[in-house]
Amino acid sequence: MILKSRRTFLKTSFLTTAVIVMSGGALFGAINPLETILKAQEDLFPHAKKLGVDVRAYLLIILHHSRVTDEDKTFIRNGAQWLNEEAVTQYNLTYPELSADKRQKILKIVSKERWGESWIHRILTYIMEATFSDKVYGVNKNENGQKLLNFTPGMPRPKEPLL
Amino acid sequence: MMYDVCIIGSGAGGAPIAYELSNAGFNVVVLEKGKDYKEEDFSKDELAVSRRSMFTPLLKEEQHVINNRADDGTVTRYVGSEVDWNFWNGSMVGGSSNLMSGYFHRMKPNDFKLKSVYGEIDGANVVDWPISYEDLEPYYDKVEKVVGVSGNISKHKFAEPRSTPNFPHAKLEENGVTKWFDLACTNLGFESFATPRAVLPHAALGRNGCYYSNFCGSYGCSSGAKGSARAALLQKCKAEIITEAFVYKLDSDESKITTAYYYDNNMFTHAISAKIFVVAAQAIESARLLLNSKNMYFPKGIANNSGEVGRNLIFSAGGSGQGRFKFENLSEQQQKELMQPGLFFNRSLQTWYDYEESSKKYKGGTIDFLFEHANIVSRASREFYNDEGDIIWGEELQKKMHKTLTTSRVLSFEVFNDWLPTDECFVSVDDEVKDKFHMPVGAINLWGHKHDVKVGEHLAKKAVQVLKEMGAEEISYNISSAPPPNLVAGGCRFGENPKTSVLDKNCKTHELENLYVTDASFMPTGGSVPYTWTIYANSFRVADKIIASLNKIKY
Repeated sequence: MILKSRRTFLKTSFLTTAVIVMSGGALFGAINPLETILKAQEDLFPHAKKLGVDVRAYLLIILHHSRVTDEDKTFIRNGAQWLNEEAVTQYNLTYPELSADKRQKILKIVSKERWGESWIHRILTYIMEATFSDKVYGVNKNENGQKLLNFTPGMPRPKEPLL
Repeated sequence: MMYDVCIIGSGAGGAPIAYELSNAGFNVVVLEKGKDYKEEDFSKDELAVSRRSMFTPLLKEEQHVINNRADDGTVTRYVGSEVDWNFWNGSMVGGSSNLMSGYFHRMKPNDFKLKSVYGEIDGANVVDWPISYEDLEPYYDKVEKVVGVSGNISKHKFAEPRSTPNFPHAKLEENGVTKWFDLACTNLGFESFATPRAVLPHAALGRNGCYYSNFCGSYGCSSGAKGSARAALLQKCKAEIITEAFVYKLDSDESKITTAYYYDNNMFTHAISAKIFVVAAQAIESARLLLNSKNMYFPKGIANNSGEVGRNLIFSAGGSGQGRFKFENLSEQQQKELMQPGLFFNRSLQTWYDYEESSKKYKGGTIDFLFEHANIVSRASREFYNDEGDIIWGEELQKKMHKTLTTSRVLSFEVFNDWLPTDECFVSVDDEVKDKFHMPVGAINLWGHKHDVKVGEHLAKKAVQVLKEMGAEEISYNISSAPPPNLVAGGCRFGENPKTSVLDKNCKTHELENLYVTDASFMPTGGSVPYTWTIYANSFRVADKIIASLNKIKY
């Protein structure tokens, strides 16, 4: 129920509003930041998918949460834009259009930049939050993240989503 | 309606007054900014409690401004919401005591006479307390019995005098690694002892015992075992508690507080009248309230004609460190002990509560040892970098995370020493930033005396010796002047002289007849221990003074 309403809201969210990508001072095109973020999270921690963790759904929750600051949200969106600009500079294609190998190369390049390291760190942190979230949030239903690390969650568990 | 007592803030400073006064038959109202939670409302939801700080205000609505002073005298201004820096600790009935770990140490007799025993220090406003350890001892004892403190007294060089032979509750169950710790300390000639905790090991005092959830500090207690001001006191008395009541102003005539004004959740304003007012909103917010409450009699803020309100803000100095124990160095039995969840580590060292170096006597402090917090997201996130310091992801991250978190465990330590009070560390109100109630926010003017770091370093090196002796690897520590937001005191220090202190020795303001401040604001120096036990004890002491004062009015 929560996820459904979040998704409806997303139709008009700041993350789905097109962002301009420049190349060499000229307009290259427009990208959907959310599409880039979702592709990047798969590239950064593909294991989450194997564990059955719905990181996409979690990102939809958290990137619209009142306790994530506007500055953080803007940074995540800007990072998606800059990631695409690097992809265009290197390969003349947007990040989601690249092959998996080339996307990894782009991540390596941006990870050496201060913003890039920070952006990857933020996305990885959200992935970890999803991977180890309580099943009440509906994105880690089988709690495979916890099982992966032999982790026993604290009791009592939340009865309802508190985020 | 005229109450006997109106208390602003329901944490460790306010709750003992509410408990004692209401049980003595007085008509008490408590105004609490946060919501009320019961045991059944608390869960171990890391995302909500730790990652998104659900028990503290949204910074865009309520924040602090921090003016950080560098050693060269330059001051950098930080607006809290812009840099995600705040000093909130828990806005709810019972305050931050709900979320404490409950590491309970008494201050030592010498902590009450720091200036007399250790002398003056250049650039620091060190003073003796106007009361002694002997004055507070009966109230430390009362806290043991009423709030509930568990532990086991063992003799060591700096063990404080007690009026009873032992704690009223047996110590909590301990992880097997404590045996390694004790052996290492014996080898080194250090005196380890079980850390007293404000946690009940068994059902007592109308509360349940600890169920060893593995998630104690930072989380509300679901059994009531933790001695929060809410579970131990407010739920055991008949004081009226008004929640979501933000007190924005006190008004007065020339000698008495007449009214406390508060906003409710709908921004409607209300007024409370009482014979006695007690401010206990935590050190920064208490000073802020007084400074924001100006009138013709107190143009610089209530009780501030001396200009002392907000001055001499202190924190706990020190820092923390850690070492890692790895499976490859351990027997199978030791591996099992290491990974045993839930049971506490609970070990402390006070061997250097004071020490000599180059023939000079120094006030030292306390080192508490504890396992790294169980929060899994935090622990996983600490694996994002490889040994070269590069951020990693994908399979490399997954393998590193798995190996580290399933075959090793971190033992941490926390150093507590005195944060020297200075002219440069104080609370004021900001000229520009206002909160959602349109009130100027608290400005925290920060500076740490170099002496604090020197002492912290001395203690941290001792802790490192223990970790090495135990066989830990990857040992590191960080001692700095960074202020811990959950260990804050001062700002309304008590003392005999109205020109240099805000409160008299009974924590009543020098300038008004019916205004008390009973959170950690009163402390002119902080001792080298966490503050909560002392706050509780002092508040019980002041409660006796208020009862005497009200009885005088009555008869």
